[in-house]
Formats: sequence, structure tokens, C-alpha cells
Amino acid sequence: MTFTQECVIPVERARLWDLLMDVSTVGRCVPGVETIEAVNGSAYKGGLKIQIGPIRLSLEGTITVEEADREAWRARMRAEATDRRLGGGIRARMSLALSPAEVGTRVQIDTDLAVLGKIGEFGQPVIRKKADALLEEFARNLRSTLAS
Amino acid sequence: MNAFDYRAPRALDEALAIFQEYGDDARVIAGGTALVTMMRQRLVQPRCVVSLRDVEGLGRIEATNGAIRIGALVTHREAETSPLLQERLPVLAETFRRVGTIRIRHMATVGGALAHADPNQDPPVTLIALGARVEIRSADGRREVPIEEFFRDYYEPALEPVELVTAVTVPLLPPASGASFVKFLPRTADDYATVAVAVSVTLEAEGERCREARVALGSVATTPLRGRAAEALLSGARLDEDVAKAVGDAARRVTDPLDDHRGSAAYKREMTAVMVGRALTQAWVAARASARGAR
Amino acid sequence: MIRIRLAVNGQPHDVEVPTYRTLLDCLRYDLGLTGSKEGCGVGVCGACTVLLDGKMISSCIALAVFADGREVTTVESLADDERLHPVQQAFMDAGGFQCGICTPGQVVAAKALLDAIPNPSDTEIREWMLGNLCRCTGYYKIVESIRAAAQQSRA
Repeated sequence: MTFTQECVIPVERARLWDLLMDVSTVGRCVPGVETIEAVNGSAYKGGLKIQIGPIRLSLEGTITVEEADREAWRARMRAEATDRRLGGGIRARMSLALSPAEVGTRVQIDTDLAVLGKIGEFGQPVIRKKADALLEEFARNLRSTLAS
Repeated sequence: MNAFDYRAPRALDEALAIFQEYGDDARVIAGGTALVTMMRQRLVQPRCVVSLRDVEGLGRIEATNGAIRIGALVTHREAETSPLLQERLPVLAETFRRVGTIRIRHMATVGGALAHADPNQDPPVTLIALGARVEIRSADGRREVPIEEFFRDYYEPALEPVELVTAVTVPLLPPASGASFVKFLPRTADDYATVAVAVSVTLEAEGERCREARVALGSVATTPLRGRAAEALLSGARLDEDVAKAVGDAARRVTDPLDDHRGSAAYKREMTAVMVGRALTQAWVAARASARGAR
Repeated sequence: MIRIRLAVNGQPHDVEVPTYRTLLDCLRYDLGLTGSKEGCGVGVCGACTVLLDGKMISSCIALAVFADGREVTTVESLADDERLHPVQQAFMDAGGFQCGICTPGQVVAAKALLDAIPNPSDTEIREWMLGNLCRCTGYYKIVESIRAAAQQSRA
């Protein structure tokens, strides 16, 4: 499924870009992230827990920054993660675009998400809603990280 | 399924104590139709399953002050066939009848279904339209919540860690009232709805204008919804085509449906408006008849 | 493990099963009653239909422990050594099955129907049987079989 999300962060573009490209740090702003560490310059591995009611997903995988164009303020990332217990996982391609907003910077994220195996059978649309909630909380965490 | 400890306490306090022991590694089981299905798919893997089957006092349907109290362990089939419900709240008995198949209804319980909090379920929709309240017990005591406040999110009821649903209390309709439940399901009859609507209407004594209405929507968001904006349009109104259309549109505007195999989000939005119109008309006709009968 | 005592087709049984054992698996593997089938595994198709205290349920999503202290009726109870149950005979005479995989469930559900409603209308038959899916027959012959069984029982 493809979807677009947006959030506004009250910080100027250059500073936000540098923070977003520091995946190890910004990764911790994603709610449910348990671990994240760099494998090399552009690839990171980590673990993420998501809860949908009584269902607990424990995703482990990698995120790779495929392209980062600071001049155009665009980046492309690829993420792959599986829940070994459930036998399912996700594959996502994301593009980020930063543009100036009235106060700070607008972040637009276009995602192409494939939900595989058990998780996919159970709730593609629910996961879509979860992604929105995740982004909201991520933006909140990002703002407080930047404020401190 | 994973291996788990199975406990079957005989009293509510015993059940609550087990949760203190296991924390959120314990899950309640009543009929098991939802939990066992999820466990078989390994979506939920509790360390302990606590059955309420032997707990006294949860399986009754009884008339109370102007209301009917349905215990959490009452099965859908018991509710559907209850003479008390069929006589006093037929729209609710009928709603329970529309759930799944007889096999499911023989096992699935009223309280268990509420705690499962699947927004595609039928009974919550009618229960919202009837102004039901959910009775909740914890180690600290007892509280009651209007049912439209009971659902937080997909599969997330508004229950704190160690709380159990013990009953749902449904007020009887006042005089000059009618209620209707419409389940729109273009697929098989045992499925969840593409869109579900329940409306209750209470008319002024002369039976012409609406004094009060409740509009409830199911399968069109991550929880069942109450359409307050739609209800507001009915206050003091006479029912005509324009009013019905406006009410349907107001209801449609609060929906946030998911695209799935029961319909696209756009289709569900459109059908919300249509089905609200139908439920409203049916409820109004019933309310008129009730008003006439009273006079 | 958990010890359960249940009556199946009138016979008492005392078995020790893992807590996660479904009633269907208990019947099939612990008790050797393989008449009930697993079709979908999520309680929808009806191939696993048994009666629990006379009420039809999906045994694939019932825990075996739910049957503790209760009575289970399976398809094996319908015929005795001499004769088929009227429902079974009617299904044979009217052609109410083809591949047979849904048939145990159909027949148990039909028996439960005729126990509850001895003279059901076609509407009542269809509503009662709606949860027993069949990929072969198109359902017409199943309804005919049940109608015939009802008539036969009254004869």
C-alpha cells in the first residue's frame, strides 16, 4: 500500500536534515524502537515493537539510506523487518522531502509498504492507521529532542 | 498455539488476583471465539489464559430499573433468544441474531465481544444507539462507562490493566420511541458488515417532531462511532427527505473507514449516508407507531 | 497438561491434554474420532461442527478444556451398527454430498436443526445451516436432504 504523511517540525531545514540523517539518534524518536545501531555509513539494524490491542509485533530488520541529496532536501530509504515469532514482516520504500513551512520545516514522507505473511493477512488497513499514530508520536518526540 | 497455564477461577476476585500474578502476560477467555482464533495464528501468545466460565453471577439477563442488565458471560445466542430482550428490546435481540453463525453465537459472549473491541462488530452499534452502559470491575471496585466511551482503538477497549467487563446495562426505550439496526453486507450473511447503522428516535408526545435521537455507526472507523452532529440535526425536526439526507451526510462526515475486502473507504462513506437514511426512517416509523399506541 | 473428563457420544472419557489442545484435535487425536474435520481452522466453514451440551459449535476454535464436565456429540453418534440416522439416510437418498468433506458437519448441524425444529420451513433450514459451507453441491441438495429427513421423521 502507498500513502503520504506529513508533519511540521519547528526547526529550520538544515538543522532538521542533519538530525534526520543521523539515523541512530533519530531512530530513537520512533515510538517502539528498542535498538538501533549503525552497520556501516548508510545501513542500520534495529528492533521495533508495535502493539495493536492484544497483538504485539516484534520487528527486527534493517534500514538503508539509499540516497541523500542535501541540496534538493530529498532522501530515499529502504526498510525490511520481520517478526520471527509470527512469520511475517514488512518491506518499505520511503522518500523524504523537506520544505520550508510557516514555522520551521515540513517533512513529507511517501511510503510504499508491503506487509507480508501473517501480519499482512491480519491487518493491512490497521497497520496503515498505526503508521499515522506512529508518525504523530515520532514528530512529538522529534520536537522535544530538538527543544532540549 | 503456545503452551499456557490455564486457570478457571470460581470468583471474580480470584480472577483479578491471577492478573496481579501474571501482569499483561495473562488473557481472559470467555467463549474463546476471538482469542483462540488469534492464538491459533500466533498473533497473541499469553502465558496464562484465565477462563471466566465458572465465575458465579455473570450469566444472567435481568430486568432492573427501566433497563435490562446483560451479564458479561451471556452468549450471543442466549441474548438473541431471550424472551425478555425479544419483548422489551427486540432491536437488540435482532442485532445479536445477526452476528456470525449459530455456532459462533453459542460460544461468543456479550462481554467478551465488547472487550475484543473489533470495530466491525454489530452489537456495539445498537448498544450505542440505545445508550447502554458497560459495567467494569477491578480490584479497587466498580465503575460504569457509557458504551460509546468504551472503545479506544482497533482491538483496544478502554480497560485498564486489571479490569474486567462484568455486564452491560441497556435502558428501555421511553414512550413514543423506535429503534432500528441496519446491517449492510453485500457479502455473505455470516460476515461482518460493510457498514452498520443503528438509530433510536424519541418523538414529542404528538408524534410529529423528534425530541431526541441517537445515531450509531459501525465498521466505518477503528472504533464504533456515535454521530452527534447527525443527532443534532434531528432535534426538534420533522422527518422529510431533506432532513434524512442531511442526517446521512452529517454521519458520513465523521466516518474514517478502512479500505478492505468488504469495501473501499469511499464506498463505505457513501453507504453510511444511505444506511443512516434507512435506519432513521425505520426508527421513525416505529416511533410513530409507539406514539400512536400510547395515545 | 490438564486433565479433563468429558462424555462423548454417551461414553465417559478421562484424558490428559495440553492446555492448548482444541476440542477438535482432542476428538480426532486423543479419542480417535476422526469424523469431524478441520476445514478452515477459524470457525467459519462448519466442517468441524459438533454439539456441546446439544448446541452446535465450531470445535476447531474451542479449547478441549471447555468440554470438561460436559457432553459432546459428534457425527459418529448418528448411526448405530444397524442403521443410518434418518438425516444420513436422507443425504444419501437425495444426493446431499459430493466430495464429502463438509458432510459430517452438515449432518451434525442438520440433526441439531431437526432436534430443535422438527418441521422446519425452507427459510428456517437455510438460516440454521448458513454456517456450514459446501464447495460442491450448491446447497440445493443439502436443503432437499434435510427436508426429506424432516418428512421421514414425521412419517
